[in-house]
Amino acid sequence: MSTEALPAFVARRRPDWERLTALLDGLDARRLRAAELTELDRCYRRAAADLARLQSFYAGTDAHRFLNQLCGRAYGRIYARPPDRLAALRRFFARDFPQTLRDELAFVGAAAGLVALGVAVGFSTLWVQPHLAGLFVPDAIQRYVAEHRLWTDSLELPPSQIATQILTNNLQVAVAAFALGLTFGLGTVIVLLNNGVFLGATLAHCFNGGVGKGLLIFMSAHGVVELSVIFICGGAGLMLGQALVVARERPRSEVLRERAGRAVRLVLGCAPFLAAIGVVEGFVSPGHRVPALLKVLLGACLGAGFWLYLLRAGRGQPGER
Amino acid sequence: MSDGPQLEVATPERVGLSLPVAGLGYRSLAYAVDVALILSFWVILYFLYALTGPDVARVVTGLSTFARIAAVLGFFFFQWVYWTAAEVLWRGQTPGKRLLKIRVVRSDGAPVGVFESAVRNLLRIVDFLPFAYGIGVVAMLVDPQHRRLGDLAAGTVALREDEIGLQKYDLAPTAGPIAIGRALSAAEHELLRSYASRFEWLDAAPRLKLGRALATRFGDDLTALTDDAALRAWVTRRTA
Repeated sequence: MSTEALPAFVARRRPDWERLTALLDGLDARRLRAAELTELDRCYRRAAADLARLQSFYAGTDAHRFLNQLCGRAYGRIYARPPDRLAALRRFFARDFPQTLRDELAFVGAAAGLVALGVAVGFSTLWVQPHLAGLFVPDAIQRYVAEHRLWTDSLELPPSQIATQILTNNLQVAVAAFALGLTFGLGTVIVLLNNGVFLGATLAHCFNGGVGKGLLIFMSAHGVVELSVIFICGGAGLMLGQALVVARERPRSEVLRERAGRAVRLVLGCAPFLAAIGVVEGFVSPGHRVPALLKVLLGACLGAGFWLYLLRAGRGQPGER
Repeated sequence: MSDGPQLEVATPERVGLSLPVAGLGYRSLAYAVDVALILSFWVILYFLYALTGPDVARVVTGLSTFARIAAVLGFFFFQWVYWTAAEVLWRGQTPGKRLLKIRVVRSDGAPVGVFESAVRNLLRIVDFLPFAYGIGVVAMLVDPQHRRLGDLAAGTVALREDEIGLQKYDLAPTAGPIAIGRALSAAEHELLRSYASRFEWLDAAPRLKLGRALATRFGDDLTALTDDAALRAWVTRRTA
């Protein structure tokens, strides 16, 4: 075959390649019939054989580049996984997400531990040394507490605006806790500790100012789920960090890719819960429109429901380790 | 192939594909287009609001709180979801990538899925550090396949999809009167065809000069190659 000149070869095989291009265009536009799909497969295999010939005898020519690209396109479409649709979404929340979470519970626990450590440090520091409040607590909050009031009682904005602000803030913390895992986990550790210290210090400052109980009630409705989501996203960040630090015998890039694929499931799984809890935090938690007892009850139910779902859903089904 | 970095894919047909990888320039431009799109979305929204100010304000305050929260959330999520939604629905392309003819694929050549796309787009904020994609740019310069950290973690690569035509193989083969010497190698054939495909575009003088240079290189007889007609005949003969 090597004796056949390239132009003659191109002229002879070109109709087939053009047919393959047309079939691929049809596939992208979702208007192929079954017979045409079979033809697509045949055309691709023939084009792949042509590519092998061009690679051997005419490497580096435009014909080779052309066919290389055509085969790349066909390969990507023919060997693609079936598209993810609604059923896949349902499967993700019914099985995939909770199962992954249970497998990686140690990381979520570690993230929770880091936040708890931060809370302990922040709380004890301000409890013992109240005059250090300026270091940890924002001025605006200090002003409120000095007047023995809670900023959550007198939010002047309409609730929906608060809800969106809170949600964007939570989302930023959650995404940062995950993504900064790429800094060998260091960034995630800092984000978790930092948020913990802030929470602990604010709590201690409010208790010192006599409004601590009010803050606890404010947090009760949304706190459990919101903190859980931060723990889970932090745990996902720690997974990235661990993959980079402890790769064992395998290449770091490979371990990172595998672990990131699991970690991102945790983050995506949290997204709807984060949105829902943002609504609770914006509508229910602030002010006194909802009685304290109801807030505590609602918070307990939401927290228990969330963890019941995380720990039980998809149990004993395929994919369970 | 030797032009630039490639993604090598081994197919079940036992043919290796080498797909060209998109470099920093293409990717920055595509990003700029996408950011411009998102920005203009907000600017148009702002001007719509500013121009029709009081009316819109009345409409907005007239909405139920849940409709309002949904609207604000929708706009907010737009910024986060834009990239992944586009990449999943358009098989690895955002509007900017489509314009610049680049496509994100998995490193085995398959289209990106939801999870891969989510990883590379959530990790965007780390690539952005400390500012203006500092880390991402360094990673792309260091990595042989120009991947940023998000790509490395997701196992994805951005490919270039140049349009390559086959027109230069079109010249009709007819025999001419000019004598020719030895047979040409594949590389020389390629060179000659590049010349032939540009033949009509060149002015007569440089056309003749280039043609004679090629003929010298191929060891052909130059004495007859003095005018355009002879040159034309020689090219036809050689490309036959």
